[in-house]
Amino acid sequence: MEIQEINRNIYDIKNKDEYDYKIKKGLTHEIIEEISKQKKDPEWMREFRLKALDVYNKLELPTWGPDLSELNMEEIATYVRPKTGLSNSWEDVPEDIKSTFDKLGIPEAEKTSLAGVGAQYDSEVVYHSMKEELIKQGVIYTDMETAVREYPELVKTHFMKCVPVNDHKFVALHGAVWSGGSFVYVPKGVKVDIPLQSYFRLNSPESGQFEHTLIIVDEEASLHFIEGCSAPKYNKVNLHAGCVELYVKDNAYLRYSTIENWSKNMLNLNTKKAIVGKNAKMEWVSGSFGSKISMLYPMSILNGDGAKTEYTGISFAGGGQNLDNGFKVIHNSANTSSVVNAKSISKNGGKCTYRGLVRINENAKNSKSSVSCESLMLDDVSISDTIPTNDIRTDEVEFSHEAKIGKISEKTIFYLMSRGLSEEDAKAMIVRGFASPIAKELPVEYAVEMNNLINLELDQP
Amino acid sequence: MVKNTKERMPSMVDYSERGDMEMLKLNEIPVRTSKNFDINNIELEEHNILNNIEQFKNITITEENCKIENNTSNIELVYGLGKILTNQVKMQANQKLKLTIDNKQYKENQIEFKFDSNNVNLVEDIEIIANQNSESTVIIKYLSDENVQAYHNGILRVNAKKNSKIDIIIFNMMNIKSNNFIAIQNIGEEDSKVNFIIIDFGGNKSVTNYYSNLIGEKSNNTINTIYLGKENQIFDLNYIVELKGEKSNTNIEVQGALKDVAKKHFKGTIDFKKGCKKSTGNENESCMLLSDTARSISLPMLLCSEEEVEGNHSNSAGKIGEKELFYIMSRGFEIKDAMKLMVKAKFNKILENIKDEELKEQILNEIDNRLS
Repeated sequence: MEIQEINRNIYDIKNKDEYDYKIKKGLTHEIIEEISKQKKDPEWMREFRLKALDVYNKLELPTWGPDLSELNMEEIATYVRPKTGLSNSWEDVPEDIKSTFDKLGIPEAEKTSLAGVGAQYDSEVVYHSMKEELIKQGVIYTDMETAVREYPELVKTHFMKCVPVNDHKFVALHGAVWSGGSFVYVPKGVKVDIPLQSYFRLNSPESGQFEHTLIIVDEEASLHFIEGCSAPKYNKVNLHAGCVELYVKDNAYLRYSTIENWSKNMLNLNTKKAIVGKNAKMEWVSGSFGSKISMLYPMSILNGDGAKTEYTGISFAGGGQNLDNGFKVIHNSANTSSVVNAKSISKNGGKCTYRGLVRINENAKNSKSSVSCESLMLDDVSISDTIPTNDIRTDEVEFSHEAKIGKISEKTIFYLMSRGLSEEDAKAMIVRGFASPIAKELPVEYAVEMNNLINLELDQP
Repeated sequence: MVKNTKERMPSMVDYSERGDMEMLKLNEIPVRTSKNFDINNIELEEHNILNNIEQFKNITITEENCKIENNTSNIELVYGLGKILTNQVKMQANQKLKLTIDNKQYKENQIEFKFDSNNVNLVEDIEIIANQNSESTVIIKYLSDENVQAYHNGILRVNAKKNSKIDIIIFNMMNIKSNNFIAIQNIGEEDSKVNFIIIDFGGNKSVTNYYSNLIGEKSNNTINTIYLGKENQIFDLNYIVELKGEKSNTNIEVQGALKDVAKKHFKGTIDFKKGCKKSTGNENESCMLLSDTARSISLPMLLCSEEEVEGNHSNSAGKIGEKELFYIMSRGFEIKDAMKLMVKAKFNKILENIKDEELKEQILNEIDNRLS
């Protein structure tokens, strides 16, 4: 399928492919050894990477979901070090890289509405900074490499324990070649009122980004973390196989928001998982607009009594896109609850699939789960599928699931047109209304970005 | 009503000496999902594939002016339960029946298969042709003696021609030592109405594949199912309805109850194919869990390649409402009887579609027996 060219304005800014070091394409023990050497890994991490590569070689590609046959690891460079080191001042970041992040609005957002920012360019984090008062409260927000060096015990006890390396093939790949990402630790009782944000930008063609995000929100602490990602479009595929591990300890709260806007030559095979403790709450907010193929199913494991989770997500697939997204939850303790609200829009030949899992285990007495999926078809050349699995293993539960699929109501369009709107404006207004439950969960500037993305998509022929 | 009881002779039997033990993968869903979800198919380890299918004579047919023949057309199944079981019916069916209904007057036909020590294995191939403008009901019952370890593998093909209306009731009353496999394929032509009621109670393993191909404009297919599982029974229901004709419609309603360590997989797919403009599809599945060790897995799929359609599904699971139970018990019922009453009340939504009062009574008695 040919990918349609669209004007993605700021997201498509291409910088010259300049780097300090780019590993040769492919995936061998020698390449992994070289990445480890380049990154100055401790010995345990070097061994971990090599074992992960062995697991990768043993595991099969998924037998379900989108066709991944165009992915050829022999054509992907898994490590690209930008021509700059880590800095805590934008002034020290090279002009072309800084200019990209400027146009994406990151430094401006940092000044006005964020407590800390991390910015990754290709395989390494180039900027990391956090407000002084949070440092004083003991909050740690740094890049993963620094965390491996400076907090080895904390990292060792949590790194790829929530998402084990044999979870699936692309987790194993991630374990072998991971680079960059953020590490956050919020100490007991500390409430971080203003969000932290990490932004991931992939500039180099025929390469992959494999950032690792590890967040530990200790007991009774709280945090809102925002993740943004984008890349300019190239003719050959790029790969994103990141990994997000979240530990929400007893009585803690974490909201993890994502606006994903990868370019439409990207295969986004990302893995996100949270382990949620007693009376803790994990909220996921997810907007998925970019990528050629996306397979992304964030997961909450409700391990503590009274743990709660919510997922609010929207996918918008345009021409040439196949977005296979969803949410998984395991109820593993009594009195746990989950609420899922997933929406999707398909247009211009795009395909959206909601694929989910609710599993309520034998020990999860008195648990509740409610799942709602809504799909909007904007034309008759697009595809929308809903594939939810519900696995209930005990009787003392309240479980309900509902899904709807359909087009924009002609009556509503007619009504809006009778009030003076053009047909296109009426449709856009209805689509924005459809997406508003997700938009209202985002900070204002991200909601605006999401609305802009919807406008951008709707404007395409 | 003219009652005509016949004993049917087997049509094809292979007298090889013994069966082969094989791992069977059955009932594959139309679009696969993660294998960790345990829902793509059902695997039966060490399943005995019989080479020697003896005669099955215990069949009673009650018919009203329906043409019955001993040959079927062998149209290939689009899905079916899997190659091995489909081929077994193709090659070794010990009952073949073709019912052709071509009169405008309403007819009711009943076929009853009873398993006993002399009739243990039934591999049957049934075809029903509901000709243009016909209106009929076909009831197919599977009964078994308490002690027999029976085996049933059947294929039922239905072709509902233009403007025909047919109600088909399948009542599986086999004991829970037996195994029950059935593959159903329906083709709905223009303005046809096919209503299936499937009462699925029997079988240690009861596996049903249902595929409906609504090719005609305004073709309509409803499926109402009740299942009731106890002890270690496993039910695997895989329903697929493809809507192709404009303004076609399907409604799938599945109500079930599970006690002890019974397990159910329900896979229900409504697939809106390109061209089925102004079609609607609704699916509702609800499972009552009567013990804390029963397990309910469901996968209600909506697949859509057409814009101008309406598709909905809903799915729920949980135990019987304590308030309602308490209310009934306060009226002098013991807990077991109160539970039975609640289960029957829940199933009533489906049972009220059965016009045959005698059959309805038989189903209600069977629910009582199985919940005792």
